[in-house]
Formats: sequence, structure tokens, C-alpha cells
Amino acid sequence: MTNLDLFILDSVITAGYFAILALSLNIEYGYSGLIDFGKAAFFALGAYTSALLAINGYPAALAVAVAMLVSGLGGLAISVPAIRVRSDYLAIITLVFAESIRVVLKNESWLAGGVLGIRGIPPMIDLRNISYDIHLVGQAIFVLLLFTVFAVVGWLLTNSPFGRILRAIREDELASSVYGKNNTAVKAVVFSLASAMSGAAGSFYSQYVGFVSPDLFILAITLQIWIMSILGGPATILGGLAGAILFTSIGRGTRILKDYLNLPIDANNMMFILTGVLLVLVVTFRPTGLLKEGRIRSGGR
Amino acid sequence: MGDADTILETRSLSLSFGGLKAVDDVSLKVERSKIFGLIGPNGSGKTSLFNLITGVYRPEVGRIFFDGREITGLPPHKIYRLGIVRSFQFPRLFYRMSVLDNLVFAARNQRGDNPVAAVFGRNIYRRQERFFMERGLEILERLGLAEYADKVPSELSGGQLKLLELGRAIMAEPKLLLLDEPAAGVSPILVSKIFKTISQLREREGLTVFIIEHRLNVVEEYTDWVYVMHRGRLYLSGPPGKVLGDRRLMSIYVAGDAAVDEA
Repeated sequence: MTNLDLFILDSVITAGYFAILALSLNIEYGYSGLIDFGKAAFFALGAYTSALLAINGYPAALAVAVAMLVSGLGGLAISVPAIRVRSDYLAIITLVFAESIRVVLKNESWLAGGVLGIRGIPPMIDLRNISYDIHLVGQAIFVLLLFTVFAVVGWLLTNSPFGRILRAIREDELASSVYGKNNTAVKAVVFSLASAMSGAAGSFYSQYVGFVSPDLFILAITLQIWIMSILGGPATILGGLAGAILFTSIGRGTRILKDYLNLPIDANNMMFILTGVLLVLVVTFRPTGLLKEGRIRSGGR
Repeated sequence: MGDADTILETRSLSLSFGGLKAVDDVSLKVERSKIFGLIGPNGSGKTSLFNLITGVYRPEVGRIFFDGREITGLPPHKIYRLGIVRSFQFPRLFYRMSVLDNLVFAARNQRGDNPVAAVFGRNIYRRQERFFMERGLEILERLGLAEYADKVPSELSGGQLKLLELGRAIMAEPKLLLLDEPAAGVSPILVSKIFKTISQLREREGLTVFIIEHRLNVVEEYTDWVYVMHRGRLYLSGPPGKVLGDRRLMSIYVAGDAAVDEA
């Protein structure tokens, strides 16, 4: 394989774990209307938990499971104060939570390596002794399998009477509660589940890159996930994947393109320009995103 | 509350917004399987009273009893579970869900409301879901909305939205149905349809209805008892024939503040 092939394979894997993160945001924001600006924190919690377990020799399955549990509990914890407030305050609370987690990870070096982070995290599926190409293919399959599992869970959740409650909370909370739904409990479930999914993405990420540090989980990561969700279609299951592929293609594509075309601007700046233009176009001409929200398929008809 | 015929009772309910007393010392009773009317000028506290009964607001003073138990301070979803269902004056529908889903949403004891069942128990809730969908379609049929089942509510007219709001409340199989101006802004033909549907439900299923309504002829024709509110207080009450003929009723619309002193 050429370097370009490896670069593309790495892009596929990157799109894969971002697709999981965008899917989790779609369940929170797209279906339930809950604004979560703390995605990076739940991603980080999963990544760090999994990394700590992996370097201490615990098996991969356990690392993923505990990472999801810790992130899920984090989501539940933040949901307790957050879901009783209006959506704009929810955005602020989650944002502050994410920054707090990052700053704690950065400053408490006894906990998880501080600014240096954690190095030498072993891959969960290690095919490097065959060849690095095969190893990357294995990682790509791993992340796409993870995404598929979460997409199926997400589809079942949102295409059910429970999914109807999510949309009802998004549309009119008062009507939802007057018609017998416990909005607070439902929101706590949504936050926990979506955060657990983000934790699984984090777990995958840390074993794939082999390294975590606080600087990898900055606000920009959260915003990237938001861009993917909005581009692909927030109230959809596959929109997150579409958005992740699109966003990653622009980011990586500009870097490949610069080797073939004489771009007038630096590739990195080109990425920002293209992403911004695309975002404006989508929000203006297709506010639902590339994919549209479908009807609820609860199996009743 | 010992009275077996009383399904709802409020005792000295009060609620204020800042300096404004929206509901002021209101004590009333609603009897089982009857249609009770609630009238009064705009801002007299009718909707606020409904908001207190359904748990949207908590009363500052006073207690509420429903079907033999106290419900003061319970959250709205628990009050729904006990059997009180309300419609809203300005339809509060779910505008990005189909008309049929809007109805089915209101059905009681949905197995698929549980996230675990949603993921792992599709076969467990599916049969119930089919049953609810069929019942939803029957209700839409009765209200003349069947052709809109798969459309979104924004495609309906204002009057049809009112009907859908009523249909959703019926879907919830209430013991006590609180209707907040179900016929306001609705064409006369639809008005009689709405009230005939309500009367039928009372006769067939023993439903109790407490209804806010401005059209006095409708109140006279359909209600068994009328309460009149004025400036947050219960001003008059009695059988419709008597209340509607009372000179004091007109005086609150005409004389406004002066009417209170006369009472």
C-alpha cells in the first residue's frame, strides 16, 4: 500500500469514530432537542478510562465496557442539574463541565499523566505483526462494527414509543408531561446513553492512536461533532456518518489536493474556508441537513 | 372528601404572579359524569385554575382532591396517570410528528415508553402499538381527520388543530377531561361536532368534563352546571339556566371592576 492509501484508511477510521460521536449527539440534540456542548468531555472520559485499564493489562472488552460505564455515569451526573434548566443554560453547563474535565486531567498529573497524557496504549485488536496495512484494515472494521451496533440501538430507540417521547420533549415539553411522560427521567436516560456511546468512541480512539492527552479533547472537538451533525442531518441515525465522512473528506482532501494542485491558500486554511462555506450553504438551503428526519417506524402500521 | 359523586374538589386555591392574584381562594366541586362549564372574561383566571389542577403550577394556598385522593403538588405526568387529561386553548401539538403519532403518544401504559423495551422488546410492544394505532385512526375517523393521519399537524387548519387537540385528549382515556376553549376560533359546524362528541363520551363512558367556553348558547345547551370566575375569584355558580339569566353575569362583562363590589 502506498502512503496515500494508508492516509485514506486512517481517514476512514477517523470518520468512523466521529460518526459514533455525531450519532450520539443526534440522539441528544436531533431527536430530543438537548443541547450538549460537552461532547469532548464524554469522549475524553471514555478515552482515559480505557487507556488506564489497557496499560494496566485489563482485557479489551472490559476496557470498552468500563469506559462506556464511566462516560455514561458522567452523563447521568451532569444531567441531574442540567435537565431542569432551559436549553441555553444546558448548553452552558455542559460546556463548563467539558472544560472542567479537561483542566482536571491536565493539572492532576497523578491521575492520568497530566499534560503529558498517557502513552503506549496497546491496540485492542493488534494485527501489526502481520502488516501495518492489515492492522489498519482491522481497525477500520472494528470501528465500523461499533458504529453499526450503536446505529442499530439508536434506530430501535428512536423508532419506538420511547422515540416518540424524545421528539415530544423536543417539540413541547409541557404537552409531553401533561400527557403522562416523565421528561426528567427520559432526559437522564438520553444523556447517559449518548454519553456512553461517546465513551465507546473514546475507548476506540485511545487504543487506535495509542496516546491520549488533555489537548486532544478541546472545545474544537465538540464543535466538529456539531458541524458533522448539522451537515448530515441532526434528527437521523445515518446523518452523523454522512456528516463525519463529509467533514473528514474536506479536512483530509485538502491535504491530499495540495500535492496535486497548486492551491492559492494553505491546505489547513482551505479546510476551514470550505467547511464554513458548506455549513452556511446547508443551513441556508437545506436546514434539515443532507438527510431528512423520517417518520417514526414503531411497527404499529 | 366523603361525597361519592364528587370527582374533583378544590379548597381555597390561590395562585399569584407577582402582585396579580390569578386565582384567589377558589373552592369548587365537579361531579362525576357531568359536564361542568367554566366561564368568565379574559384574564379572570380560568386557564390558571386548569394549570393548577393539572400540576403545571403549584398552588400557594389550598388543596386539590381528585377521585378520593389529594393531588396537590403532584407533577403533571402523575396527575395524568390518575386520570385527569386536559386540552390546551392554543393547540400544543408536536409539529414534526404525524397526526396519528400525536394521538398515539397520549395512550396510556405504553410498553414501548421504556427504553429497554424499545431496544430489546420490539415484539412485546408491537401488538399494543398496532392496537393504539387502530384506536387512533378510529378517533380521527370520528373527528373527520382520518385522511390526515400520516400528515404533520402544520398541514391542518386552525379548527382541525382544535379537533386534533380534542382527539389526543380522548385517546388518553380520561376520567376527568379539562377542555380549555375547545371551540374558540372554530367554525360553527365544527363547534357542534366537538360538543356532540363530548356529550356522546359522557353518555357512553361516563366521562366527566370541565370545560372553559365563551359561547353562552353552547354552555346553556351542553353543561349541567356553570361556574363563573371574575378577577381570580369564583363569582357565581349554578345550573346554566339560572346563571346565564343572572344580571350579575352581564355586569362583569360590562361593568368590569365595579361588578366585584356588587357581588
